[in-house]
Amino acid sequence: MSLKPATLSKKEFVSFLKQVMQTYDVIAPVELAEGVSAYRKIESPEEVSLTFHNTQKSAKEGFFPQSEVMFRYEKEGNRTQVTSTEEVDRPRLILASRPCDIQAFSLLDQVFSAKEYTDVYFLKKREMTTIVGFACNQPLSTCFCTSTGGGPFTREGSDIFLVDLGEVYWVEFLTEKGKALSKNEFLREASEGDAARAKKLEEEALKRMNVPVHLDGIETKLEQMLENPIWDGIHEKCLGCGACTFLCPTCHCFDIADEVSQKGGQRVRNWDTCLFSLYSMETSGHNPRPSGRERTRQRLMHKFNYFPKNFQKIACVGCGRCILYCPVNFDIRQAIREINEK
Amino acid sequence: MKNPYLPIPMVVKRTQIETADRMLRTLELGFLREEDEKAFRFVPGQFCELSLFGKGEAPFGIASSPTEKGSLKFTINRAGVVTTALHQITQGEEMGIRGPLGNSYPIELFQGKNVLVIGGGFAFTTLRSLIIYLLQPENRSKLKDITVIYGARNPGLLLYKEELADWQKRSDMKLVVTVDAGDKDWKGKVGLVPNVLEEVGPASENTYAVICGPPIMIKFTFPKLMTLKFPNERIYTSLEKRMKCGIGKCGRCNIGHLYVCKDGPVFSYEQLGKLPKDYY
Amino acid sequence: MASSQEMVQQKIREKAKELLAKKEVDLVIGFGEGSLPLRATPIFVRTPEEADRLVWNSFCDNNLATYIHKLSRFKLGIVAKGCDARSIMALGLEKRFQPDRIVLIGVPCQRMVDRRKVKLHVHRTGLPGNVDIITESASLPAHKAGHPADLPAKKAVKGEILRAREEGDQLIVEGNDFSVSLKKDDFLYASCKACTHRNPIKANVVVRDRVDETPLTDPYAEAKEFERMSPEERWNFFERESSRCIRCYACREACPMCYCAECFVDSSAPKWLEKGVAPSDLEFYHIVRAYHQTGRCTGCGACERACPMNIRLTYMTQKLNQEVKDLFDFEAGTDPATLPPMATYKVEDKQEFIK
Repeated sequence: MSLKPATLSKKEFVSFLKQVMQTYDVIAPVELAEGVSAYRKIESPEEVSLTFHNTQKSAKEGFFPQSEVMFRYEKEGNRTQVTSTEEVDRPRLILASRPCDIQAFSLLDQVFSAKEYTDVYFLKKREMTTIVGFACNQPLSTCFCTSTGGGPFTREGSDIFLVDLGEVYWVEFLTEKGKALSKNEFLREASEGDAARAKKLEEEALKRMNVPVHLDGIETKLEQMLENPIWDGIHEKCLGCGACTFLCPTCHCFDIADEVSQKGGQRVRNWDTCLFSLYSMETSGHNPRPSGRERTRQRLMHKFNYFPKNFQKIACVGCGRCILYCPVNFDIRQAIREINEK
Repeated sequence: MKNPYLPIPMVVKRTQIETADRMLRTLELGFLREEDEKAFRFVPGQFCELSLFGKGEAPFGIASSPTEKGSLKFTINRAGVVTTALHQITQGEEMGIRGPLGNSYPIELFQGKNVLVIGGGFAFTTLRSLIIYLLQPENRSKLKDITVIYGARNPGLLLYKEELADWQKRSDMKLVVTVDAGDKDWKGKVGLVPNVLEEVGPASENTYAVICGPPIMIKFTFPKLMTLKFPNERIYTSLEKRMKCGIGKCGRCNIGHLYVCKDGPVFSYEQLGKLPKDYY
Repeated sequence: MASSQEMVQQKIREKAKELLAKKEVDLVIGFGEGSLPLRATPIFVRTPEEADRLVWNSFCDNNLATYIHKLSRFKLGIVAKGCDARSIMALGLEKRFQPDRIVLIGVPCQRMVDRRKVKLHVHRTGLPGNVDIITESASLPAHKAGHPADLPAKKAVKGEILRAREEGDQLIVEGNDFSVSLKKDDFLYASCKACTHRNPIKANVVVRDRVDETPLTDPYAEAKEFERMSPEERWNFFERESSRCIRCYACREACPMCYCAECFVDSSAPKWLEKGVAPSDLEFYHIVRAYHQTGRCTGCGACERACPMNIRLTYMTQKLNQEVKDLFDFEAGTDPATLPPMATYKVEDKQEFIK
């Protein structure tokens, strides 16, 4: 039985969130500096900031933090006591994640929730989290979510879906998890006018989507291209930093390290990128991906050939962050165009 | 939900230096908890991540056979932070393992066939597991000829010298041990593995080959297998790659769309032929 | 009538064509058209025909010297602004390339436009005439504009800049529903305003007339602003800035002077710091990288421009540059005959700090 949509006045946003925070740990966009935002667990509703087109760091941090303790250990004589940190005590809520980041969650699910080896840290958070999606009224010219199977108003993956109508937010309850918040006293029933406005914004947003990026068949195209000279040119300006990888909602590589303290320590996982030379460096000093050419090829092949081979979906949601923040203006759309033209 | 990142607690039962240069050391580990020992079922070719709290983890092929009950053996080459610490760990100390991980040698396919095992240097670890397993009566009876060719740079660098001595005496397998260069006590064969392989000239018909060794050895031995008419789908190898999670999540050990930790480390050359070559 | 900028662009192309045709270089590293407004992008040109892709504008803000390390086995032509030329000289003194293997195509610099300043301005106002020079404040209020309760209905998200072009001293910036003409000089990088070496030193060819090297601000303005803060304010500022670091190392890779085969962050024995985002590790990384630039940094600002999280970085290196100037009368990359002070020792070196 689907619930009727509601509206939430922006003036009552703080009160609404205060009530939500009585039950949920809320992870929301926080402005770290003017124009720079990321998802953080908030202590008070006042920390939330929603003026971004999109955050720099994506909402994947809600399930896959950049640094995460996996377990702590304490040495007592010859024995070692190990305490895992996998448990999630309180229900969680990811507030205002764009549809592209939410589409990425389902891609990350494929990697982390595999039956064989279940990544408990990811999965336990996933199970305990309600996702509040946030429609894009004004997609950027660098956005190409519609080319990856998503869209600025795509509701798939959200438990609750918000649309900014101006004075109020339009609120849809899409799943059982979402419905659990419908009793909040600050939600009002939506009017037909609200519904019409939301629909109009959706149409306008779709019209604004820029030139589509042609990703059909790219997996097959790349199949024969591993030794293609295209890689000699594509990689040249890439600095081999991790900006694209760490801002990307779908990238999931990580490193594991032990951090030692006096009586024991902790095993931590940190984000890593295949673009660092150290990533594939072997102890002997031999590196099977010795230069930027191999590493850039690896990143692009993984996103558009290897991942689809395993999971039938490309590992890109068209959020455009890599285009916006690359220090040398490496544009993945241009790379895709070059690949298609070969 | 089982947490695949938590190590199984183990105790060091015995340690033994294998090679004259003291760079290779075998650890024999025992389970601390009976339920872990009961649940640990593995097939030759699989590996474990050995875990030292405070130092980190590294992957090692299981050198003991599943038929050698009561403990697990790993042979460690001292190279970096973790392996140096594994060389310093002493009897009675505790450490962890995660496993068994990865796939195994395709033993079911060997039934009714000949098996040719070619090993070089330190890569012989999982081959030890495989050979001991195949020599068990209930397995041996299902196979035809077993031929093992094992080479090292010099006699001091041969692993598992005790096992090699035992195997020399057996009539149900043919063992050829060779070194690149002998010493004053060495009475055995002297010659590079690819040349010895040519010399032995095993029949390729109805034979599966398993080859593990350093890249340079593989580079020169593989063409000899071709000359002997071994088809790619009957040549298997075990690959090594830098690993962290060991369970196909951290992304690091991929060759194309396959992960060495999860879809390997054992691959046939037919499989490898279809994969990108960016792993050597 | 071609603008002076177009003439510079033409000269760069001609020179590149000449060098490539005569095989005096194997490739030319320069700037090409960016795929986004307010941007240019590094390009690698290997034939005279490709040289027509080279552009010159006020968005050519990368320091191309950083590519020398990957390509030093080739004979290189490099388009270099004043700061870039200093980096190349500094790298030459550090023996990072063979002396005659680099041809500098020097461009006396018009100062580069800070696209973040432009974006923030549009984001805040979107209206012509209201020019607000953006300065970062040391603290952010807890309840900021951007909070839903504060957002006026129509201005929730500002328009995106879709096109930008230069017209003389103006920068025309346009979006779907706005067009603004901004005075370029109001939107320059702080490091460009402070620059005292806009003319490339030791360039093999210079593509326009010398420019006046009087800086628009105090050359050590950022360092002095920092010094005016109390120790507690300085720590708060540094902590706040470094706290949003994501360890992507864009700063390190963009910097021409960072070229160690093993960076200190990657050392595992000894392990100096962890690879996560614990505040102490972020602070450690930033301080040590700044210190590794002592006597080597040419103030090009590439680090700060590269950072995806807009972290302030140049104030630290500027402070160190100031100290090196005071102690050793040395500025990196300005004198081909003087070795960097951190790599040399002279008996006359000041040593009052030794008590």
